[in-house]
Amino acid sequence: MTDLSQAVRDAARRLLSDGLVDVVIGFEAGTLPLRSSPCFVRHAGEVERLVWNMSCENNLAKYLPRCSERVGVIAKGCDTRSIVGLLGEGRIERERVHIVGVPCQGMLDRRRIEGELAGREALDMQEGKGEVILHGDGFEIALEKERYLHASCRACRFRNPVIYDTLIGDPVAEGVAADEYAAVREFEAMPRGERWRFFEAQASKCIRCYACRNACPLCYCTECFAASTEPRWLNPSTDATDALVFQIMRVMHTAGRCVDCGACERACPVGLDLRLLTKKVEKDVEELFHYKAGLDVHERMPLSTFSPDDPGDFIR
Amino acid sequence: MRAVLLAKNQISVLLEALLQGHEVFAPVNDGGLIVFRQVDSPQQVVLGYHNSTLPPKRLFFPQTETVFCYGLEGAQLALEEPQPASGEKVLFGVRPCDARSFTLLDRVFAGGNHCDGCYLARRENYTVVGLSCTRPRATCFCSAVGGGPFSTAGSDVLVTDLGTDYFIEAVTDKGAVLVESLSGCREADEDSIRRRTEAQAAAEATLRGAISAEDMKRRLQEMWDDPLWDRLHEKCIGCGVCTYLCPTCHCFDIVDEGSEQRGRRLKIWDSCMFPLFTLHASGHNPRPTGKERWRQRLMHKFRYWTESHGEVGCVGCGRCVVNCPVNLDIRQVLNEIESLTKKVE
Amino acid sequence: MEEKHTQWEPRIVAFLCNWCSYAGADLAGTSRLQYPPNTRTIRVPCAGRVNPLFIIRALMHGADGVLVSGCHPGDCHYLEGNYLARRRFALLKRLLEYLGIEEERVQFAWVSASEGGKFAQVVAEVTESVRALGPAQRLVRARDQEGAL
Repeated sequence: MTDLSQAVRDAARRLLSDGLVDVVIGFEAGTLPLRSSPCFVRHAGEVERLVWNMSCENNLAKYLPRCSERVGVIAKGCDTRSIVGLLGEGRIERERVHIVGVPCQGMLDRRRIEGELAGREALDMQEGKGEVILHGDGFEIALEKERYLHASCRACRFRNPVIYDTLIGDPVAEGVAADEYAAVREFEAMPRGERWRFFEAQASKCIRCYACRNACPLCYCTECFAASTEPRWLNPSTDATDALVFQIMRVMHTAGRCVDCGACERACPVGLDLRLLTKKVEKDVEELFHYKAGLDVHERMPLSTFSPDDPGDFIR
Repeated sequence: MRAVLLAKNQISVLLEALLQGHEVFAPVNDGGLIVFRQVDSPQQVVLGYHNSTLPPKRLFFPQTETVFCYGLEGAQLALEEPQPASGEKVLFGVRPCDARSFTLLDRVFAGGNHCDGCYLARRENYTVVGLSCTRPRATCFCSAVGGGPFSTAGSDVLVTDLGTDYFIEAVTDKGAVLVESLSGCREADEDSIRRRTEAQAAAEATLRGAISAEDMKRRLQEMWDDPLWDRLHEKCIGCGVCTYLCPTCHCFDIVDEGSEQRGRRLKIWDSCMFPLFTLHASGHNPRPTGKERWRQRLMHKFRYWTESHGEVGCVGCGRCVVNCPVNLDIRQVLNEIESLTKKVE
Repeated sequence: MEEKHTQWEPRIVAFLCNWCSYAGADLAGTSRLQYPPNTRTIRVPCAGRVNPLFIIRALMHGADGVLVSGCHPGDCHYLEGNYLARRRFALLKRLLEYLGIEEERVQFAWVSASEGGKFAQVVAEVTESVRALGPAQRLVRARDQEGAL
């Protein structure tokens, strides 16, 4: 993956020096070994800052709605599906965005890797062919890349950008996860009381920081329902009920729009299993309405339309 | 002040003894997350950790707190103010950065003419047992902001891990009382004192070269309108991770809920990173975009606090650095400001 | 103060669409049909007006059950409102069940203006199924568990 850094820089340089865009949004090296960080490049001379590696975990589509300039954005498969969603919802104008698509083989789950370190601090990370090598004070660990991908990457079926103006590198083989909803099905099979206790425990850990919401490209409301005081739907408190209601409604608001990029789960500082909720709604949308988000700009979001044959057995 | 040594494998005996006479709060592992909780057995305590994800200030300043409840019984209005437990408490295993944060929060909630009763009721009766940092992390920068890996600010007792033993030293009179009460310890000898001093020097040496917040107040005073602010905030997604994980952040909102019959007034954390934080009733918002909000965050911690209190309002724990979803690193920002303003000199 | 010993009665919030279900409820009344008195009715212009937040907020504040009733598909006064609602409620129902909220607590019906009898029957069935579940305890704000409705 690292050789794509140069291709990304070349693409950005071309876009900026040809005056096609005012800014390129990509990734630069982070200040910590397992991180990279979104960066905004405005001059061709600055493109050397750009990198592409397995820590480019953020969904850069997030920045597109608020940009009034002409933007070039480095987007992996899931990010391009978010862009399709934003285009379909009229949040960005196609002519204003130049999509630099990058086929992606997955991003590393830094929290699981940190778990392996068991309290030791990684000071350096190198990407090998099939492994990542971490160095710290008095230790070196090699971890198999495949085993430490984000759960959303392991379930991913759209590694190749679904929309782009420029494609970096060669297309990659599509992911063939046996069942992307396996975790959801396993959870559905649990007894009801156990499911409730799980979510109650999760909600008790939530600190209402809204990192999940703010990392999501589809959460672009200028005033979120959670902040509304007239009416006040819920308090910004850490009472389990308030926290759970926030999660429930966020997932309902992104229903049929979420592409499972995983940005929410990656952003959460307390490690909540947010995808157990988002993936459930994604599964129901697929089963009930035969719809997958982020593939066709012209298709209407499932909750803004209907079919006369929609399931209705649950209605008396 | 007195110092004693305790063999490391005897720590549970010490904790057990503390549990006899006090409520003990210590770091525990809650499903992978290190947090400070009340413990009822030494086995729950985790000491081989770097720092908790959530800061211990939550014990004095909970994220959600009931200020009072009311209930109407017929024509009688009953008002009830929750009374936190008032027994003797020990906060065990706090890192020096977090212990120092208590002194900063005390200025806000327990200093001056107006004290916060909720905070005071929780804060009193605590003996703080700090745990020095013999191996600071690359993300730590306590020394740059007026603290240090062996700082005693905010601690009554300081514990240092010397490998085979814990070096336990009293810092305050309250701490001396606790140290006196410990059994199974032996007097700290010259060798252990030397090793403790060396450990401090070694730890401090690793932090040299971490960011320089020196003279940050003056630099920030000069650059209110600098175009740097337009760039700095761009990657910020405006969540509250930095503020809610910060040991010194202290902003809150007051929310009333209930009906005519019963209800309560709540104190709930709020974040200056949220857009509605400074929204006026008129509709005007003096911090309308991320730029103003990010500038405010930096100004508050590194300029206004210094102007008002003579010390930086950040303890250098590094939680915001480690947990920011976009790796917006405050150290990098401070370095950039320093290099920018140096040119002006 | 003596404790009042009252038998628990389910409290059910019913969102009824103005044109069909509310009229159907009214017809049940004018026909003097008997049905349990446990529902508190909130009239909405259309079932499509019902935000999932309304349903959840009712549960948060102590409702033991929620009923949402609208026009039969094809008969919506606003043409499509109930179709959109059908999709929304299908997702919500599955999500609440997944979370461990008993599925009988939130129920849906199509009741037309002429179906006074059906309305009475639906209310009776919903009330009994909620009664069998007992007071709602999940998703209720702690403060409201003693009852604020």
